[in-house]
Amino acid sequence: MFKIIANRLVGPKIYEIIIKADKLIEQPQPGQFFNLKVNKLKSKDPFLRRPFSVFDFNPVSQQLTFVYRVVGRGTEILSSFKVGDSLDLLGPLGKGFTLPENKKSLHLIGGGIGIAPLYYLARVLADQQQLSIYLGAETKTELNFFQQKFSELKCSIKLTAMAEKLDFKGTALQLWLKNLPANKADFIYVCGPEKMLLAVEKEALARNIDGELSVEKRMGCGIGICLSCSCQSVESPLTRKRACIEGPVFKLGEVELDE
Amino acid sequence: MNKQQSATDLTEKIDLATVLKAKNGSHLKLKNPLITASGTCGNGHELAKFFDLNQLGAFTTKGITLQAQPGNKTPRIAESAAGIINSIGLENPGVDQFIAKKLPETAQYNLPILANISGYQADDFVNIAIKLAEQKEISGLEVNLSCPNIKGGGMIFGTDPENVFQITRKIKQVYPGYIIVKLTPNITDITTTALAAEEAGADAVALINTLSAMKIDIEKQKPLLANTYGGLSGPAIKPIAVKMVYQSYQKLTIPIIGLGGICSGSDVIEFLLAGATAVGLGSINLREPAAALRILAEIKDYLKKHQLNKLSSLIGAAHQ
Repeated sequence: MFKIIANRLVGPKIYEIIIKADKLIEQPQPGQFFNLKVNKLKSKDPFLRRPFSVFDFNPVSQQLTFVYRVVGRGTEILSSFKVGDSLDLLGPLGKGFTLPENKKSLHLIGGGIGIAPLYYLARVLADQQQLSIYLGAETKTELNFFQQKFSELKCSIKLTAMAEKLDFKGTALQLWLKNLPANKADFIYVCGPEKMLLAVEKEALARNIDGELSVEKRMGCGIGICLSCSCQSVESPLTRKRACIEGPVFKLGEVELDE
Repeated sequence: MNKQQSATDLTEKIDLATVLKAKNGSHLKLKNPLITASGTCGNGHELAKFFDLNQLGAFTTKGITLQAQPGNKTPRIAESAAGIINSIGLENPGVDQFIAKKLPETAQYNLPILANISGYQADDFVNIAIKLAEQKEISGLEVNLSCPNIKGGGMIFGTDPENVFQITRKIKQVYPGYIIVKLTPNITDITTTALAAEEAGADAVALINTLSAMKIDIEKQKPLLANTYGGLSGPAIKPIAVKMVYQSYQKLTIPIIGLGGICSGSDVIEFLLAGATAVGLGSINLREPAAALRILAEIKDYLKKHQLNKLSSLIGAAHQ
């Protein structure tokens, strides 16, 4: 069990939860996730844990942060946890992002709450690499918290919303494509709704741009036993890849994505 | 002797062993009644990261089919009150790959391995059983007669006692080892199929498999699971499972493996009292990978509290 240090509203239905992670077996890598038990006392309802990618981890202060949006019963209960409450978490789990050594220009493209795992990645990479961050959401208020966090890092940030004009008005993909001629990408990292992943993947592969994406799948166990999050690999329908073990980070063009 | 030592001694005197005796004398002896349920324990190594698998009574493999199966499209899982609905669709590499790759890995643990087999037609079961009969590492078969596909008919195998009888007998003819028939609860009277399995020569029955169920996404106004229907498991179905074990115990002479929503030592005790000789841990493994250890400790606590030193004395005790 781990103590909750903070659990606060940072945007529309968006919360930041900070946990004192002083008993972790290993340090999480960017893109890895934890499976959180959202029950209070001994309740078995809801039954399953909820997977959340790491928003940030500080090995010195041993603070582990997740940023989540309240979308259902599990996240609603999680949002009601108070500072000082204990939380049962399992992890770090899954395969995270590959940290490149010899790439010059890295682009991080995030949509909606899918921006969350990109922050830890950016923080780890920002000092050594040239980073361009492209973030999109429905509204500006959804981006405020992320904008503030990314601004503290050494990177260039561009924002877009569907509802209003920021650096651009439209999707994160449109924003990225508009800037691509002037700002070439050697490698991209993408996280957001599956439809967005598919669209970005298609455009990137058409331009021979390599990269990785993090998928969000309904999971049962998070440890590879139930096969609920099984993805079909592009190479063959019979080669399956579990989002919780072989993912959630995959190479562009590695698994089939749904519209 | 300090307090801690005396507590340990008392625990050591408690006998958790249970024997799944078959009519013909063949039997499966388990050091405790906990068996991981098929499809909720991977291939072994996934759970072994969380606890020593050798603490289990037995291990059941993920469902094996004759040919490799990609499984259903996602979403494959949904939640309901204290339960989960899954429609994985038997994703597995097929029996040959199972023997070549998966079995050696699972066999490294020092515990009985039960191979769960599924088929789309009767001959599939027979052909898988023939291949598995040669594998010394396997202690028995668990025949999944809850598979919703049958050649031509489109009905569920396990809901027709005659089908259950025929398939069980065919497998019995080619497989000399221990045979467990896993039954579906999607039937008016489960004792009819349980008796059919017994008459055909099954050494034990396992009940229950999941209950047919579905969930509709009210925002999308569509079924949530890609496969529309799935199977409900978890605490929500436990009372149904206990009732079916209790009912079957009154009619059967072969042992029953009880499963359905077991999450605690108390749940195990309830199944034993109803008439189960051993139990399956399923959904709980998804929520709490090391649950088996906690449950074992809780069973011991119960036995101590009731001053019982043999777990087997509880089997069917609620009927007396």
